[in-house]
Amino acid sequence: MNKLPLGLAVDLRNVVPYKTGSWRTMKPLNIMQTPPCSHSCPINNDIRGFLRLLADKQDFDEAWHVLTRSNPLPATCGRVCPHPCEGGCNRRDFDYPLAINSAERAVGDYGLEKHLEHKKLIPKRKEKVAVIGSGPAGLSCAFHLAKRGFQVKIFEAKGEPGGMMRYGIPSYRLPQEVLTREIEAILRLGIDLECNAKVGVNIPMDQLTQFYDAVFMGVGAQLGVPIGVPGEEARGVYTGVDFLKLVNSGKSVEVGRDVVVVGGGNTAMDSARVAKRLGANVCVVYRRTRVEMPAITAEIDEAMEERIMFRYHTNPVKIIADEGRVVGLLCVQMELKEPDASGRARPVPIPGSEAVIPADTVIMATGQAVDYDGLEVQRIDNKWISTNEVQMTSIDKVFAGGDAVLGLETVSAAIGQGMRAAEAIEDYVEGQVESRLSPPPVIYSKDLNTYYYKKSNRFQREALPVHIRLKGFSEIYPAFDRSEITREAERCFSCGLCFNCANCYMYCPDNAVKKGKSGTTYEFDLDFCKGCGLCAKECPCHYIQMTLEK
Amino acid sequence: MITASSEDLYKVEKKDLFASGHRACGGCGQALAARLVADAAGENTIACVATGCLEIFSSPYPDPSWRIPFLHSLFENISAVASGVEAAYKALKKGPVNIIAQGGDGGTADIGFQSISGMFERGHNVLYVCYDNEAYMNTGVQRSSFTPFGAKTTTTPMGNTTRKKNLPLIAADHGIPYVATATVDDFRDLQRKVKTALLINGPKYLHILAPCPLGWGHTGDLTVAICRLAKATGLFPVYEIINGKVANVLKIQEKKPVEDYLRLQGRYRHLFKKGVPVKEVAEIQEIANQNIERFNL
Repeated sequence: MNKLPLGLAVDLRNVVPYKTGSWRTMKPLNIMQTPPCSHSCPINNDIRGFLRLLADKQDFDEAWHVLTRSNPLPATCGRVCPHPCEGGCNRRDFDYPLAINSAERAVGDYGLEKHLEHKKLIPKRKEKVAVIGSGPAGLSCAFHLAKRGFQVKIFEAKGEPGGMMRYGIPSYRLPQEVLTREIEAILRLGIDLECNAKVGVNIPMDQLTQFYDAVFMGVGAQLGVPIGVPGEEARGVYTGVDFLKLVNSGKSVEVGRDVVVVGGGNTAMDSARVAKRLGANVCVVYRRTRVEMPAITAEIDEAMEERIMFRYHTNPVKIIADEGRVVGLLCVQMELKEPDASGRARPVPIPGSEAVIPADTVIMATGQAVDYDGLEVQRIDNKWISTNEVQMTSIDKVFAGGDAVLGLETVSAAIGQGMRAAEAIEDYVEGQVESRLSPPPVIYSKDLNTYYYKKSNRFQREALPVHIRLKGFSEIYPAFDRSEITREAERCFSCGLCFNCANCYMYCPDNAVKKGKSGTTYEFDLDFCKGCGLCAKECPCHYIQMTLEK
Repeated sequence: MITASSEDLYKVEKKDLFASGHRACGGCGQALAARLVADAAGENTIACVATGCLEIFSSPYPDPSWRIPFLHSLFENISAVASGVEAAYKALKKGPVNIIAQGGDGGTADIGFQSISGMFERGHNVLYVCYDNEAYMNTGVQRSSFTPFGAKTTTTPMGNTTRKKNLPLIAADHGIPYVATATVDDFRDLQRKVKTALLINGPKYLHILAPCPLGWGHTGDLTVAICRLAKATGLFPVYEIINGKVANVLKIQEKKPVEDYLRLQGRYRHLFKKGVPVKEVAEIQEIANQNIERFNL
């Protein structure tokens, strides 16, 4: 033993520090929580994850893989999704929400440009699943099953895969090329595709349930439903779905000079804007007002930019035809009364307010329905397929999702349903009964310490000028600059996940926050932590939370 | 005079020279400040600490928290002791070494005022760091001359009736080369000021606002938030005085009313009768406004 210096009774080098951790009643914990963007996303995309990759490493490659863990169609969703994620973004209460949708499109486009391939999670398993319909729901279900090793076959009634994305969305919003290549990437997971095979007509449903371990129905709502006014059989009257299908299949449609579109949903907006691009004067007739329109707000704005006329409080009464060809639409003015069951104001006609709108073409975008030809499943209101909580229909081992179940919804909602159905099918095939882990709680603005964030402007995508847009079907928003997208990603608050700001490390009065082994994470030294909660309070993203000491 | 590159000055230091295991309360502003100062000063430093909370909680035998040489003295004479250390180094022709005298507000402005004034006047090369928690917290929250107007202590149960002594300006009027104020919430700024001061030859004075959860009556997690409010209301101006000239005044980005600051703390609770502020609050606001005007915050 070394001799102690004069006056010392204890060798200070061997003294064990006093463990102040015993004073604690609360202790800090790193808790990863759900950011509101992922929570609002129908697919629960890991938005925070891919944005952080873009911000920290400018790694579009890895970001694409993170995004396609849940969403097989990022380039498509980046164009057509009404982005509820941005509505949820906590940055909304601070300055402006992040341009998540644009970032998604940039990442999706990068994946297409570099021909990135999806990765399989499980190489191969023997179970076989049939998917009816190759719309967003069917593709998503097939994708998630194929990634888990299932042998998947898609039956598509039409000539090309894509469903409503191919036949219902005009190419100025979603170029066919983008969709085709994204679908090809999905099919390269080893998915069989049989086109022109309509289940219930060409192939009986029984055959599928017999040969496959499970069946997914993503049949969509392909039938246009007119509202039933006299004269609908006249030439020049289309349903919105049929009209878009004709144009998207490359058939030439003569719309004439004046086009009247009836309805206020997304199909109505698309039909109107397509008709405008075909050279017509377009008027949208809707019986309520803009506020009640179910269409995506941005779509209405863009339609207005393109000088499409809107007539609110107007309802068609009769289609006027001359020699079997439509020449006008007799309409009546409506007034809005107390709300109906849907929560929207109930329109009531004003007597004596009839007027004729001249029209060479009338497009009835007033509703869509499921084509049940040869399919016998239990329905709700005789309209939509009825499913249980794991999306199984009334037929055993037949699952369903997408517009046919939800009613009319978005591409992303259908993808989300396809994904959840795939999980349910996996559980069903494996005989799992336990429910999957529910995601952690959501973080809202009130939980964040926004002092540490700087206010900044949102990425603004630039639209083509209207006169160029109307010349053809070229995409409205040209490709984005990637460096601007990474700069936008840096605005992400990273709600609920450490982004290495080191506040906890610097502020702990007890030095009880230590750097982790990797140097990018922080750990609590519970021997000394007194549980004051300063780290949790000063954590900008609420990743640190105080919990009761056991 | 200042030779280090500005990049070095703005670098955040964490060397754990003030280690875990000290007996400060949870969320102690002084413990946080002492660690930031020690880490900024580095290993080549002698810490001379006056009696007070800091000395009590950081130096119990046999496991002191200091990982640098530490010298404890009385309440009133730490400036004199630090002066002696500096004189001894000079006489022995040793060094250079950073000598930092540290004390609480009582030990600095009341009991130790005579010795700190002497140290400034004699021009010793010592940095004096005052941890201002606005009362004698160590002995049980008695009023000091740094206790602000309206604050409740055990010796001013109805609220303090006098205004806070403005020691930074008194120090500057000694003609010393460097005086600065700082708060624990902006550790980058605090450490820069320590490093800047240590590059200057002569007596330096650094005044750090260090909230005391126990004495101020707030929970430990609010230490940083309260500092931030003290700055945003104008009650604690953050500035430097270099060779007699006020410089680098921290401008208030978003001005807040003093009520925001007062309501968080138990020592001001008597200023709100059933939630409604009494007339003293207006006077505290007046003090804040005077600060804002005086330092152009």
